[in-house]
Amino acid sequence: MRCGVTAERAPLRPTRDPRVTLDDLVEVLLNKGAVLHLDLIVAVADIPLIGVNVRAVVAGMETMLEYGMMRQWDEDTRAWAERSVRRRGLDLREGESVVCRMSGGHLLAEGIYTGWRPGTVHLTDQRLVVVRDEPREVLWQADLDAVRAARLEPERTVGGEERLRLRVALADGGEALLSAQEPEKLHARLTDACAGRLDTPFPFRPAVEEEPLHEGHLWFHEPRRGGPLWRGGQGRLTAAGLVWKAPVDSRPALVVPMADIAGVERSAGYGPAGEGTVFVVRTTDGGEATLAADDPAAWTERLAAARPAMGTG
Amino acid sequence: MPLTVDEKSLKHGVLSLVLTLTEVIQEALERQALRRINGGDLTLEESERLADALLELDEALEQIKEDHGITASVADLHRGLDEVVDDVVDKLINPRRWAEEAGA
Repeated sequence: MRCGVTAERAPLRPTRDPRVTLDDLVEVLLNKGAVLHLDLIVAVADIPLIGVNVRAVVAGMETMLEYGMMRQWDEDTRAWAERSVRRRGLDLREGESVVCRMSGGHLLAEGIYTGWRPGTVHLTDQRLVVVRDEPREVLWQADLDAVRAARLEPERTVGGEERLRLRVALADGGEALLSAQEPEKLHARLTDACAGRLDTPFPFRPAVEEEPLHEGHLWFHEPRRGGPLWRGGQGRLTAAGLVWKAPVDSRPALVVPMADIAGVERSAGYGPAGEGTVFVVRTTDGGEATLAADDPAAWTERLAAARPAMGTG
Repeated sequence: MPLTVDEKSLKHGVLSLVLTLTEVIQEALERQALRRINGGDLTLEESERLADALLELDEALEQIKEDHGITASVADLHRGLDEVVDDVVDKLINPRRWAEEAGA
């Protein structure tokens, strides 16, 4: 919009461009800025009950800065962005270039501590690196020259899901386990990058996979504050003990070490899997866990067999 | 001026509306970005990053419109909204037209 003043004819007279678009309207609004002050009282029978006081300003950032608003915030945001942009990615060596990059992690096994540390896996034409952004740290890295072999390994998580991990063997005899968003792609690219240098066969000892004695779908009568609740999940019985985990949980809700199992018995109760599908696992400290399965006999037999000393009821 | 949203397919109509509004926001962001860059506060690097990001947004929007075959209907809807705004602004700054409309 513009205001035209014609000296001789009429006084101030608004004229307008033939077309005003929504975009123009928004631009004018943002360039000028809009201020809203609202005071509101909600009253019942003339007695004020709720007070509302709103002060809102909408404007383009440039207009905000002109009026001295949000200046510090603007500077801080840009400074932070600058830092994070510089941090993003990897400090590359001379002549090094990134082949692929994906989120992933490195399994740190140091002393008694074993745990996944998440970060970003970078494969360059010289190195394989796992970097964590915040706080900044190179979690693990190896030169491609030192990589002797790489293999995808399925890892059984507690919940029974299988995830592929990348196991890497190094020239100095060390090895590392990496997780990656697309393990197959990382493995393929790594194999390409080390073309001809990867030894086959894989020099590692075969991973000791703990063979489950029995596993399958299992209901757990979980004690909760509002009363116990049947929940479905995956049960897994190994020589180490009985573990139950629901698919939505991040960790198992029930872990009973084999040594703590005092007994197991069928219960006459009614479970989600039908009549007579319920069985109770008793622990040495007097506790008990109520479970239900489609094949309760198989579970109780295997539990009893795993721990011959205990009696079955 | 009534807004006409493609009646044949509700999905296309809703998607067109969303994209039209997104375009309005995008336009506002672009104009404000231009003001900021001209304002001289931003470093050269920041200006470049901003321009790249807006260009990417533009390409992404064009791609979405193309993928769903709604380029034409979004343009129509955008023009329709502009006409509504034009009409309202015209009435606001030109009170005489109220009388004209009332008389007609």
